[in-house]
Amino acid sequence: MSTPRGRHTVLIGDDQPMIRDIVREVLEAEPDLAVVAMAGDADEAIRLAERHRPAVAILDVRMPRGGGAHAAREIRRCSPLTRVMAFSAYGDSAVVEEMRLAGAAEYLVKGVPNVAIVAAVRRLAALG
Amino acid sequence: MALLADTEPCVRCCTMPEARHPEHELYDSEERFRLLVQSVVDYAIFMLDPGGRIVSWNAGAERIKGYAAHEIIGRHFSVFYPPDDIAADKPGTELELAVADGRLEDEGWRLRRDGTRFWANVVITALYDADGSLRGFGKVTRDMTERRSAERALDERGRLLSHLIRAQEAERQRIAWDVHDDTIQAMVAFGMRVQLIADRLPAEHAEAMSRLGDTVSATIDRLRDLTFRLHPPELDHSGLPEALSTYLAHVVAEAGLTWELRHDLRREPSPEIAITVYRICQEALTNVLKHARASSVTVSLSADDQGLLVGVADDGVGPSPDAPGRREHFGLIEMRERAELAGGWWSMEAAPGGGTIVRFWLPTPPSEASAERYLPR
Repeated sequence: MSTPRGRHTVLIGDDQPMIRDIVREVLEAEPDLAVVAMAGDADEAIRLAERHRPAVAILDVRMPRGGGAHAAREIRRCSPLTRVMAFSAYGDSAVVEEMRLAGAAEYLVKGVPNVAIVAAVRRLAALG
Repeated sequence: MALLADTEPCVRCCTMPEARHPEHELYDSEERFRLLVQSVVDYAIFMLDPGGRIVSWNAGAERIKGYAAHEIIGRHFSVFYPPDDIAADKPGTELELAVADGRLEDEGWRLRRDGTRFWANVVITALYDADGSLRGFGKVTRDMTERRSAERALDERGRLLSHLIRAQEAERQRIAWDVHDDTIQAMVAFGMRVQLIADRLPAEHAEAMSRLGDTVSATIDRLRDLTFRLHPPELDHSGLPEALSTYLAHVVAEAGLTWELRHDLRREPSPEIAITVYRICQEALTNVLKHARASSVTVSLSADDQGLLVGVADDGVGPSPDAPGRREHFGLIEMRERAELAGGWWSMEAAPGGGTIVRFWLPTPPSEASAERYLPR
């Protein structure tokens, strides 16, 4: 779950390239975090999670090919030690509940400060 | 026409049971006619005295209006009219017109005993003695609610208007989704990048960059507010009660009012009914914030087998007795129009404890597939 240099590994799944890129840059700026995979849809996120077994998977909720809930459920099944963090533009209760039931341990609404994203990833990685 | 009055017992029939005089035949026939009128259930047939007080009642009246004879005889017939009609003295005007023209026919909303409404066809006939003095009025009322709904559903103008409203809602939803899924995401990425740069800059520049970051955050909030006003995402994901409580928490609470949402919905209404309820509440709450000078507002949703009754009540200054301004006037027309297009009714009146209450009812056909979807808890 960690790279040889002891960094926590992260997968980013979001259909918006702008969001994928900036989340990667924010996380890579931290000495203890490494982004090992980036996916543009749910199927790709599942496939890459199975291959890389990241410590944390950051998943958008509205992703093509099944959405974040489907991806979270499958990732928890094929890589049980991977912790899932939902990162969504929506914050209403039905969506939060849907992701919680799918196995997401954290739910962040897009627009939170970068430090909150980094802190949530560290919290989840510490669980692993 | 006195035969319609069932308050006078047919004394002569009872005291002369065996007599078969022509006069008795007449009373026999009157008795049969009285029984006929009394037992008709499809029409409310009753009499008013010249002042408008109810003096007779039949089975149809009890069925349609919900009052038993002993509860209603002696009361003024204005009890059947909605408050806005009473404020305009519609009952009094209708009697005057019946006297002037001999009869009056009207269609409109009337109230049942339990406060619910039905669409009534009403005929009021002035009744005169042989010497020409006014004895009272005969009143025949039919419940036309179902026929009206069917007619309105087929009405060309109604079809066009509901098509326009549907198109408008679809367009608003599309714009809201575009802003949400594209513009806001771009602003989020922009904001994150600004923060990242601020973290790497020396302190004197970081401060300016951090202020830029704050501006981006504020812009994201504004865009979210825009999408929320265009089409609340909660309506698609979480249902009507949550969409309304989010609106109350955002807009009403931010204006400094306390609010309450009460509902007993067991299932989500169809998307079309949900957006209609939401839009009328939105307009009613906008009026509360602009004109009512209220400190609290209560929104209530209650369901029955046929429909959804909604109330928006405030504790402000009450409805303005003056002619409303043009903007407000259009808002009121729009609320009424939306409710009536959906086959329901809408009213605005002074609340019993002060303030204003907007009430409306929309039919929710049980056959609609989407009506079977249970609300998430």
